[in-house]
Amino acid sequence: MAAKVVVQDLRKRYGDIQAAQGVSFKIDDGEIFGLLGPNGSGKTTTVECIIGLREPDAGEIEVCGIDARQRPQDVKQKIGAALQTTALQDKITPREALTLFGSFYRDSAEPQQMLDRFALGPKGDAPFDTLSGGQRQRLALALAFINKPELVFLDEPTTGLDPQSRRELHSEIARMKQDGHTVLLTTHYIEEAEQLCDRIAIIDRGRIVATGTPRELMSRSTAMQSVSLATVQPLDPLWLSALPGVDGLTCDHDRATFRTVEITRTLAELLKLLDARGIEIAELQVRKATLEDVFIELTGESLRD
Amino acid sequence: MNGMLQQFRLSLRLHYRNKMALLYSYLFPLIFLIAFWVLYRHENVPLVRHMGELFTVGVLGGACFGLPTTMVSERERGVWRRYRLAPVSTATLVVSTIVARYCILVTSALLQLALALALGMPMPAHPLDLAVAFTFVSFGFVGLGLVMAMMADNVPAVQALGQCIFLPMLIIGGVAVPLNSLPIWAQHVSAFFPGRYAVEALQSCVNGNGLSTARFDLLALLMIGAAGCLAGSKLFRWDAQQRFSTRSGKAWVTVAIAAWAGVGLLAESRGRIVTRVPESQAVVRSPAARSAVPGITPKLSAAEIAAGNAAGAKAAAPPAPATAVSTPAPTAAPSRPPGTPSGAAPTPVAPATGNSAGRDKATAPTAKGPEPVPALPPTAGRTPDVPATTAPAPSPDTAPPASATGPSTWTAVTLEQLERDLVFDRLPPDSGIVTPIAPADEEPDPEVATDLEFVRENLPKWQPGKVADPVQRARNYLYVAAVPDVFQLPIERYIASVVYDRMQEDIPKDQLIQVLYWIALHPAEGDESAVDQLWALHVGNGRPDMGEARDRVALYAVKLLGRLTGHIKMQ
Repeated sequence: MAAKVVVQDLRKRYGDIQAAQGVSFKIDDGEIFGLLGPNGSGKTTTVECIIGLREPDAGEIEVCGIDARQRPQDVKQKIGAALQTTALQDKITPREALTLFGSFYRDSAEPQQMLDRFALGPKGDAPFDTLSGGQRQRLALALAFINKPELVFLDEPTTGLDPQSRRELHSEIARMKQDGHTVLLTTHYIEEAEQLCDRIAIIDRGRIVATGTPRELMSRSTAMQSVSLATVQPLDPLWLSALPGVDGLTCDHDRATFRTVEITRTLAELLKLLDARGIEIAELQVRKATLEDVFIELTGESLRD
Repeated sequence: MNGMLQQFRLSLRLHYRNKMALLYSYLFPLIFLIAFWVLYRHENVPLVRHMGELFTVGVLGGACFGLPTTMVSERERGVWRRYRLAPVSTATLVVSTIVARYCILVTSALLQLALALALGMPMPAHPLDLAVAFTFVSFGFVGLGLVMAMMADNVPAVQALGQCIFLPMLIIGGVAVPLNSLPIWAQHVSAFFPGRYAVEALQSCVNGNGLSTARFDLLALLMIGAAGCLAGSKLFRWDAQQRFSTRSGKAWVTVAIAAWAGVGLLAESRGRIVTRVPESQAVVRSPAARSAVPGITPKLSAAEIAAGNAAGAKAAAPPAPATAVSTPAPTAAPSRPPGTPSGAAPTPVAPATGNSAGRDKATAPTAKGPEPVPALPPTAGRTPDVPATTAPAPSPDTAPPASATGPSTWTAVTLEQLERDLVFDRLPPDSGIVTPIAPADEEPDPEVATDLEFVRENLPKWQPGKVADPVQRARNYLYVAAVPDVFQLPIERYIASVVYDRMQEDIPKDQLIQVLYWIALHPAEGDESAVDQLWALHVGNGRPDMGEARDRVALYAVKLLGRLTGHIKMQ
């Protein structure tokens, strides 16, 4: 499958801050690629360098087979982008904005078609300053699609949106995939990346620390699954610490949590032990490793700091 | 190209949806015009003389505040950042913004013009030239606005930067304050501001000789505008995060500044900076007349005086506003046509003798509005009140030199020379601050009345009023009115009538006419020691600026002359 985006050793510095220090990744045609990282990790800088909003200090960027650093205007013809927030003139209407932006491209979609697709029909002639946050974000998406792009960049598109708008946007992005669009999505919401993306690159301090499908990333992880247990009768920590594979045990009277790499064997031994002691289980939960656990394991930092 | 067109149309459409922007770009220039008209109406200052300034203020406001405010606020909010995601060039945005702003400025100026016409202003003398000049003016100022938009990081910075340019340009840049009212140093400073070139170019199209005399102004505006647009494009930033102070390429600002400096230096090298002319010289038409060239010097006959006095002027009667207009003549103030030689040269206009066509036009009752149109070509002139005053007024730059018929002595002055050389409608109004004269029925305050009575009683005994030479004696009398005028004393509005009464008692009328003409044309001559004797009349408090005092003496001389010869009607 042909790569739509190839980023090689991208570097960008703002004064003393190295925002991107050798970022490299590829996005294949038709995939939804997520760039996941905490605030300040360099994901927006990376995207802005690719879409021509910033000039990188070093590195190679190829978009749709075009050298983006040499021919940024040609790249812009082929891509669409929606930034975290899209500002337009207060009194411009969605229809006018779509007509205007459409005129900047060699090929563009009909404004009405975009209004209908992004559920902006009734607001087509309303001034921008009367649109809600969700409507504005949908207009941003409509603008991103006005030039029938081969590739769409969505930079934290759901940040600051209410749950309803976020759900609507998620279904839009899912539809993009169905339509065969290639999408680069940056986000710091793990569930969003997990739910929407075919592949994810985890970025931290300006570097890509892991790339793969969500499943690959989690399976590649050595993170342990965690067990939490509540009982009717009190527990003795000594019993639990003797179980195979148990790590990080905390035990308080009738409650305990621990992690294990051998979940099946540990649980089998635990149930045998409780049965032998005549202890009744009030609650038992097993949680598999999440993307967040993977991230913490890879970077030593919490994602949502 | 389609993108540029769409952006241009959208810029205009959004402008017309923004109430504040509309108020600023359309209402503000109209209010300025009306305010001007209302404020100065009573002084009979014709709008036609000030349209250059009024247009310039409108363009200046639109370009120095309107344009950069819109641009900076859009950039600040991130609108341009969104544009940058699309394949839009800097040129697309800059050109469409400039052209849209030009359309706004043009429509605003047309509204101003329509209002001025409705208020009685005649049609501009050179409408096509005016359109060209206006385009250059807009280009010059829009270039300036563009540089400001790129320098200012936010809207408050635009306001600060705008005021820094707007106010000096208004006050010492020749836009709101006429150049010839400014001190010499300020006139030199004004050469470095585009405002004066804008006013000169526009004014020359409204009531001057059109663009033929405004070539340097157009060049100056073109240089300033081109440098501004170039620097503005080079400094262009799409993103508010790109702060001006942290950007490379700041040196482009020096290109814009260099253009201003270059224009100023060029103007200096051409020696066309100082336009100040004493007000008294504005009423004098021929410089040759003042040079006392020996020539034909027929005596002023009693019959001539009688004819000149046919309007029945009673010299001591209360004065009326100076409306006894003779022939239209080029404006001396406030906006002199460009090309005037430097120095304090008087209006270099001479009647084109024998130009019967011009004469016919000048006398034809073609004026429509209530305003005198002093600087228009003959077609726009008013009906003269006195048949003798029919000399047409050709271009100040292209007119042939005045006929060398100036009298050699005051006794050689003829009524013909008087008619030829003096322009009574250019006198400062009696209700103004220069050479004021109160209407006869206006009662002074009791304190002023006491002082006035003292002058009236003591003037016949005043020593300088007893000198033998009638010219010097008249000068001495006129100082009694001129000095309080310079000092703006409370008595200033009433004392001229007392002085006029005394002069008419003391000097025979025909002689007085000759003497006053002589003083008007030779303000720098004569002894000024009478000023030091004013204490005897309890008038004045020290020596004023004698240049100014002599100027006022000449003006009061012409005002009395106008009354004596019927050029200024009595109430």
